[in-house]
Amino acid sequence: METTLVFDRVWKRFRRGAVHDSLRELIPSVARRLSGQKRPELEERDFWALTDISFEVKPAEVLGIIGGNGAGKSTTLKILNELMEPTKGRVHSEGKIGSLIEVSAGFHQDLTGRQNVFLQGAIMGMRKAEVKQKFDDIVEFAGIAEFIDTPVKRYSSGMNARLGFSIAAHLEPDVLIIDEVLAVGDYAFQQRAFGKIKKMATGGIPVVLVSHQLDRIAELCTKVILLEKGVVKASGTAAHCINEYLHPPEDQQMEAHNHTGIRFEGLKSLNGLAISSGEQLSLSLTGRSLNESYPMGWQLAFHVTQEISGSELHSVQSPQRGVLLPLAKHFEHRIDLQMNVMPGNYIVGVVLWDTETNQHVLHGPRVKVEVLDRLAFWGSHQLNSNWTEIV
Amino acid sequence: MSIPPASSTVLPPTDVEESAYTPRKRVSTARIVAELWEARDLVVQFILRDITVRYTQAVMGFAWALLMPVLIVGAGLVFRIVIANLSGTESQSSGVASLLVKALPWSFFSVALSTATQSILAYANLIGKVKFPRESLPLASVVGQGTDLAVGSVFVAILMPFLGFSLTWNILWALPLLAMLIAFTVGCGLMLSCANLFYRDVKYIVQVLLNFGVFATPVFFEPQMLGAKFGAIMLSLPLSPFIQGMDVAVVRGHNLLQPLSMPGSKGLVEVWSPWMLGYAATLSVVALYVGLRIFRRGSAHFAEMA
Repeated sequence: METTLVFDRVWKRFRRGAVHDSLRELIPSVARRLSGQKRPELEERDFWALTDISFEVKPAEVLGIIGGNGAGKSTTLKILNELMEPTKGRVHSEGKIGSLIEVSAGFHQDLTGRQNVFLQGAIMGMRKAEVKQKFDDIVEFAGIAEFIDTPVKRYSSGMNARLGFSIAAHLEPDVLIIDEVLAVGDYAFQQRAFGKIKKMATGGIPVVLVSHQLDRIAELCTKVILLEKGVVKASGTAAHCINEYLHPPEDQQMEAHNHTGIRFEGLKSLNGLAISSGEQLSLSLTGRSLNESYPMGWQLAFHVTQEISGSELHSVQSPQRGVLLPLAKHFEHRIDLQMNVMPGNYIVGVVLWDTETNQHVLHGPRVKVEVLDRLAFWGSHQLNSNWTEIV
Repeated sequence: MSIPPASSTVLPPTDVEESAYTPRKRVSTARIVAELWEARDLVVQFILRDITVRYTQAVMGFAWALLMPVLIVGAGLVFRIVIANLSGTESQSSGVASLLVKALPWSFFSVALSTATQSILAYANLIGKVKFPRESLPLASVVGQGTDLAVGSVFVAILMPFLGFSLTWNILWALPLLAMLIAFTVGCGLMLSCANLFYRDVKYIVQVLLNFGVFATPVFFEPQMLGAKFGAIMLSLPLSPFIQGMDVAVVRGHNLLQPLSMPGSKGLVEVWSPWMLGYAATLSVVALYVGLRIFRRGSAHFAEMA
């Protein structure tokens, strides 16, 4: 079926927190309303999760949606999936919408893998005959054939996720929505899953993909939109949007009133912006130093912060690594760091620092780095632990 | 890091025509039923899941299905002995048969309604992620509970000759009565499961009502025990025609198209009228229709609540 997915001036309003969660709260509030007392703060709790979002995905197009937490990606997907209705605007699609999300939510822990395949398949809209026909493929893809008659409560979380993904991946939808499933299971399964996603995404149907894995977005998407706080901040090619996302234009504005004599030109990753936990991140810092001398105590420094909390994990001043502030020349520095941290988003920023006053003089470029969960662990520090069976 | 865009706090422009951009379309009831029919495999899977878990897990297996009715019969017997002792009369011997036949539909209704009420909230996680006809959850809860009802009915059928039933064709009235009861329960389950998602204390209220309901409907009592006035009030409560009909048709072998009166302590009390069949039919159709409509309106907001 030739179908185009249309998202036409869509607005979505939410309440912060449920207004009434129980009858116990509802009844007094209705009584108050009847007696003419108003509670104005209720109105203020409304906010727009999506404001005037429009896009169109034609057959064989792959639209990527990127943005930080709370940008409106999940809301957009939920509206696409018809889980929510937009407050205003029009959404149009035809045929069966298949959603490739990490679901083992429908699994019942006491049922066997086999029983759960039929259950989950039915939840995702497959007829029983269809599940029967694809059953062997599903199990083989998940790689759990020998455990298929074991209750899933005995499965590892990886097996659970693999089976859930495999069921979803065997839908044959007219429109495909992919939500952040690119990091399911172990590395080998991820590669296999990505191959499957790629095959589905290039099958000639409209595809919408949401992911934090920007390298995957760049590889799969024919176009991308960048959402920020419910607004489309950028749209166009993957490269353009990813660049906007990682290097917000504020940085350039700050350059305009820079009288320090240091001109940062760029901070670029030499090995991608999505790297696995425990691996090395290599950055190249370039810029120009205009002056022959600078005030005492001025040094370059970089710091790594966690994106969500903003807390600083690590910072280093260049003399600590034997690098002095460049004088009157074009400079190119290389910064290597082991990302021995929890999976998540981190920001590496460079500053010009005054060690006399302990204040920054100039904010330099920053990059957002995605640390992926490829060497799983619990705790706050990635120690690259190995566990080898000797005997 | 960046200033929130001004537009994130403004209202939609007024030039967006409300009429052209109001997405909610009313779905006809026939369409809902057709959608559910399309999703019958899903309903069957939900039912299979519930049955498998209930019957393989519980050590007692199928005896589980009988536990609730047997408990109700036990409670009813105790209750009647107390009443008989207080009033100084003999307790009737037909008591057990009658209690058993009425305990089945009551325990079906009470268990089905409380599981259906919680069915949506229990799968909130799924509802926020996957689109499927949401009606299938409470529907499967109720229909799945029907298997317990079926097991119980077989049990009663086996016991019939020993409990002094009058074996007549009127026993067949049980089929339409139970069918209407299931429809009524599905309707109530749809409304309450939806309400329970929006107001999380609904399930407690349902539980309290069910606990008292056993006294308000003719499960333990018979209308003639209450006299003409209170008997009529009891029979007019929503669940009564189903339960009373079972007793009158199955135990007493009475044709439900004929009225029936029984002697009470202060003269004859009408314990069945053919109108009650119409009442039962109306209740089930109205509950089902209203349930489907309310549920569909509410389900547009499920993903936001879940």
